[in-house]
Amino acid sequence: MKFEAKQLCKSYGPQRVLLNLDLSLQSGEVVCLLGQNGAGKSTLIRLLSGLLKPTSGEITMDGMLADFSEAEVRRKIGLILHQTFLYEQLTGAENLQLYARLYGTKLAEGDLKQLMARVGLGKVRPVPVRSYSRGMKQRLTIARALLNNPQILLLDEPYTGLDQQGSAMLNQLLAEEQENQRIILVTTHELSFIRQVASRFAILHRGRIAESIPNANLSLDELQERYNAVVNYRAKVQVEAVS
Amino acid sequence: MKTWLGTAWVLVWKDLVQEWRSRDVLTSMFSFAVLSLFIFNYALELSPIDRAEIAPGLIWVVMVFAGTLGLNRSFAAEQDQGSFEGLMMAVPELSVIYLAKMITNLLMMFGLAILVIPIYSLLYNQSLFDLRFFGILMLGAWGYSAAGTLISSMTVQTRMRDLLLPVLLFPLLLPVNMAVVKSGSAIITVSALPEFQSWINLLLVYDVIMTVVSLMVFEYVIRE
Repeated sequence: MKFEAKQLCKSYGPQRVLLNLDLSLQSGEVVCLLGQNGAGKSTLIRLLSGLLKPTSGEITMDGMLADFSEAEVRRKIGLILHQTFLYEQLTGAENLQLYARLYGTKLAEGDLKQLMARVGLGKVRPVPVRSYSRGMKQRLTIARALLNNPQILLLDEPYTGLDQQGSAMLNQLLAEEQENQRIILVTTHELSFIRQVASRFAILHRGRIAESIPNANLSLDELQERYNAVVNYRAKVQVEAVS
Repeated sequence: MKTWLGTAWVLVWKDLVQEWRSRDVLTSMFSFAVLSLFIFNYALELSPIDRAEIAPGLIWVVMVFAGTLGLNRSFAAEQDQGSFEGLMMAVPELSVIYLAKMITNLLMMFGLAILVIPIYSLLYNQSLFDLRFFGILMLGAWGYSAAGTLISSMTVQTRMRDLLLPVLLFPLLLPVNMAVVKSGSAIITVSALPEFQSWINLLLVYDVIMTVVSLMVFEYVIRE
């Protein structure tokens, strides 16, 4: 499968966030989207999930224009945003059962336990989500995103709130999903973790993918250096142009 | 159709379970309604004839004001928990979210009517236990929920949602208010019964049109 953004633009009033952005994602690929705060990473994730409409440009799945009013299209996407999408008064299992029913699938007791165990919540008592810690909520959010076996995973800061063990668990899941030929796009600042599973890094700067770097055993320092070079070089060029 | 209704039922179940466990909205709606009835009882010293004439209007006003507290929260709770976008990704059609919220709001109004009628009867010493009157209140509640749920989905995206909802909703409810009060009066005072049917027709037409139009436009309202 191929998931592409072509000449994508997004403006909020006079503020232009994305400018003719092109991005192509293939099955079995884990792409890490890097960028400064406010670069437009979350906006791009929202556009790719259909929650926002682009000002111009198009999003395609296997060359066909993605029509997000179709449930079939929306359900191909597993999404994690800053919000958890969880209901605080329901238990973890009830939340997953609820989303499974909304997706039109039935989650058998065994599958539910397996999914909870997969994100490290197998032994959690059936208490409302409001009493969960931030890390536990994030684990449940990951389980919710994987619930309907989506072909595309769009994960905005998925390491948020996770401890070392949780981050390792997420990496393990990402590796498994990569083997299952999913398309995975992750935004994060946790380079040390994502470096272990990413196929390539796309640097979002000034509304475009400024550089795409394959993860050919890059060390953390090398990656940081490449990232800084892109961000600082372009900032420098602009300062010079202005002066 | 079966999937659509099934999904709506799942969402209604979720809203009711959430509300039952938190009791945020129910407590405030019910206490507001009871307090309003008490205040009207002390503020208005009415003869038995006057009481019969104002009963439908008074009960409907209390239900509308108390119901607004619930309407305000119906989408705001989703927004605050950040779960609305999760629903948008999962449901088969976005209009099903509207249908579920409308049914939940209607059930809240049903509960409110069950609470308000006996308390009014007790305080004002006038029996309102009439199935026809209850039916009129429910028809009014249907129109109120249909319009209110749509307006609530619009105002939830604004900063002044609590203020905007009644300002936008109440003018839209004018036909419902008139029909409920007039037809309710006709039943309770046993007068003007010939006009009764035309008010009921107005209520039914309003309810159906408002529900159908809202289902059609909901997707455009909630999408950016």
